[in-house]
Amino acid sequence: MAPAPELLPYAKIREDLFRPLSGAGSSYWLTMLAALAVVLAGAYAWSYQLRFGMGVTGLQRPVFWGFYIVDFVFWIGISHAGTLISAILRLTEAAWRKPITRAAEAITVFALMIGGLFPIIHLGRAWYFYWLIPYPNDRLIWPNFRSPLVWDLTAIITYITGSVIYLYLPLIPDMAQLAEHNTPWRRKLYRILSLGWTGSDREWHALERAMKLMAGIILAVAVSVHTVVAWDFAMTIAPGWHSTIFGPYFVAGAIFSGIAALIIVMALIRKVLKLELYLTDHHFNNLSKLLLMMSLLWLYFTMAEHLTVWYGNEPEEMTVFNAKTRSAYAPLFWGMVGLNFVVPFVLLGIRRLRTIQTAAFSSVCVLIGMWLERYLIAVPTLTNPRLTSATSSYFPSWVEITITAATFAGMVMLYLIFAKIFPIIAVWEFKPHVAEEE
Amino acid sequence: MYLIGEFRETRAAAAAIQKLRAGGIGPGDLDLFSEEPVALPRGLLDRPSHMSLVSVLGAIALGSLATLFVRYAQNDYKLVTGGMPIFSFWATGVITYEMTMLGAIVATFIWFLWESGLVRKRDQRAPVPRVAPGSMCLRVRCAADWADRANEIMKGSGAVHIERRADA
Amino acid sequence: MEHRWGMAIDLDRCTGCEACVVACHAENNLPVAPPDQAATGRTVHWIRVDRYYEGEFPDIKVKYMPVMCQHCDDAPCEPVCPTYATYHNNEGLNVQVYNRCVGTFYCANNCPYTVRYFNWFDPEWPQPLQLQLNPDVAVRVSGVMEKCSFCIQRIKRSKEDAAQGPRPLADGDVKPACVQSCPAEAMVFGDLADPESKVSRLAENGRATKLLEGLGTKPKVFYLQRAK
Repeated sequence: MAPAPELLPYAKIREDLFRPLSGAGSSYWLTMLAALAVVLAGAYAWSYQLRFGMGVTGLQRPVFWGFYIVDFVFWIGISHAGTLISAILRLTEAAWRKPITRAAEAITVFALMIGGLFPIIHLGRAWYFYWLIPYPNDRLIWPNFRSPLVWDLTAIITYITGSVIYLYLPLIPDMAQLAEHNTPWRRKLYRILSLGWTGSDREWHALERAMKLMAGIILAVAVSVHTVVAWDFAMTIAPGWHSTIFGPYFVAGAIFSGIAALIIVMALIRKVLKLELYLTDHHFNNLSKLLLMMSLLWLYFTMAEHLTVWYGNEPEEMTVFNAKTRSAYAPLFWGMVGLNFVVPFVLLGIRRLRTIQTAAFSSVCVLIGMWLERYLIAVPTLTNPRLTSATSSYFPSWVEITITAATFAGMVMLYLIFAKIFPIIAVWEFKPHVAEEE
Repeated sequence: MYLIGEFRETRAAAAAIQKLRAGGIGPGDLDLFSEEPVALPRGLLDRPSHMSLVSVLGAIALGSLATLFVRYAQNDYKLVTGGMPIFSFWATGVITYEMTMLGAIVATFIWFLWESGLVRKRDQRAPVPRVAPGSMCLRVRCAADWADRANEIMKGSGAVHIERRADA
Repeated sequence: MEHRWGMAIDLDRCTGCEACVVACHAENNLPVAPPDQAATGRTVHWIRVDRYYEGEFPDIKVKYMPVMCQHCDDAPCEPVCPTYATYHNNEGLNVQVYNRCVGTFYCANNCPYTVRYFNWFDPEWPQPLQLQLNPDVAVRVSGVMEKCSFCIQRIKRSKEDAAQGPRPLADGDVKPACVQSCPAEAMVFGDLADPESKVSRLAENGRATKLLEGLGTKPKVFYLQRAK
């Protein structure tokens, strides 16, 4: 059996974790190129939409929110990966989180950057998106602070600032270590980013205090961010949306999809960067158990929401409920339940079936399932308005599909770039402590 | 005069620090350099921190400022919407909350930069030891005539290598 | 005293002829959707006639209901617009300011009557309809939400004419396009703040109902119909 990573010699750890930073093979460049192609296709699709109008999407009255809003909620949800792992596990001092934190925090920052694009992409006049920002202007008017969309703006700005800082802080010591890298531009970059870190105890103390505070703050922010996103729906009076459970439901769903995204990313970097010694079965076992737990929590919330709607039997709510579970959207709904609950429950609940591969597979299923969940929240309500003369349907156009695909490709690109410039495992956090006082 | 002693074990470094402090060297003249945080016994080399307080103050400051701004803005141009009063705390409470959190975040980060000494005007002449992996370096600043005593203390505590540097 | 504009529609008189729909199109420069857009449900009708069928052939009964923006006193569309593009003016109208609209669609999602319409593309009219655009009404661009305005341009014009007099604005002076064109005279528009106006008296009528009243939106359109 391989030695525990903490017991490997320092030189080997350093070498393993810094090796991905030098050089890039052909598979790296091919993946980058493919991702870039999809991203460019998405950029073209968006420019097409800006040029010709929102009519190029599949949206129609009364389905005014479609793929873009689903994508928005989905990506903001994924951003909870970093928060859970870094903040909660840091606060509970779970040691197994150490090799995972930076990868998770990177997912958070990139998912937020991508998710934060969608409130702009979905606008009818996207070039005026900045009107939601309060600044003195010649329209003589401030934004409407009562609107959940303005709350969204503040929440996401706060979360992105916090996440970037939370990613950057533990990066500083690693930057100092890399400052003697062989490539000149890297040397310069690392030196600037290290802020002259020397490793003195004063600096370490300040860093640890800051990390501890940030962990608590970022947790509070993360809960609020997805609650506020949920309130974009829940604050309306649309049937199926006006539910008090949406706040906690979305947060639980976000953590759920975040863990799934994290497992997939971990499995990939383990394979590609040859980090088998550092990301072990132990880590995936724990993450799988977390995923399973969140799956059960998700099931609970889904049950609670739908059972109360069904039992209350209000006509307009039941129209939406029936559309979701019995008629038009039933295949998607039950597929979602299968992907989000049945697959993880079987593959991860049965100990013998719980491997890294099945964890990754379950996570992919969960991501699809969670995307479907957001779709099934947004669309069936809109296609079944209170006044039935407006009942309609929705199917996305190539523009929406391309832009959605481009965001996934964009995530891949950002991550590939990140992994090449910064060590994906925090070396200083990971190195074994020098023998301590008994 | 600076002395830089390299230690391999926390115990040894801790012993050296204790003896040096007993000899009269203040914590301001002691710095322990390492590649990861070292857990020293309590009270040995504590660095007082105001970070929590600053964080809370920053939170309160930005939260209040934001709420006052929203109140001002909504009264500046009195538009009625959906039967709500001109300024409704609960209708904009989320903004108060988020800005409070942002205040805490920004205050923490800025204070970290200050407290760690990373952006302070540092004593550029103080030598920074290059720490070998697995070691930690204790840098002592003392008067030139005290240097030998410091040297003995560190050697006695188990330093594997001691270097002297004069003030530049 | 401030006006408070409201409307009363007598459903027992309405024949479903949709003259009101056409008149609104003409008055308010509504875009005409090309066939492919109409097929995907992107027609714009600030006032539309909903049909509700009861019974089976040959005993079918149809109820026609012209539905337009209800100018709710507690409008759900208003608090959610981030740029105040929709707000309540002091005459009780729910006003849509096209210049401020960024196109977040939030107002339309929150409207329980689904009376808001979006400009998916820049508007176009089949020749020669583009020659009969009303100069009193803005032509909306792509990306902006719009809805019935109770012909606010006609309200303004009537108020200006009355101020010229000077004479007070009389009941019946203001006639939105739909009210003016109804052959069955099923629609009445007026000032709810004036207890003597026709619309106020009709609102007190035993047959007066409001659409989706239980939601608490306080709409200002009264539908007069025989109770079942």
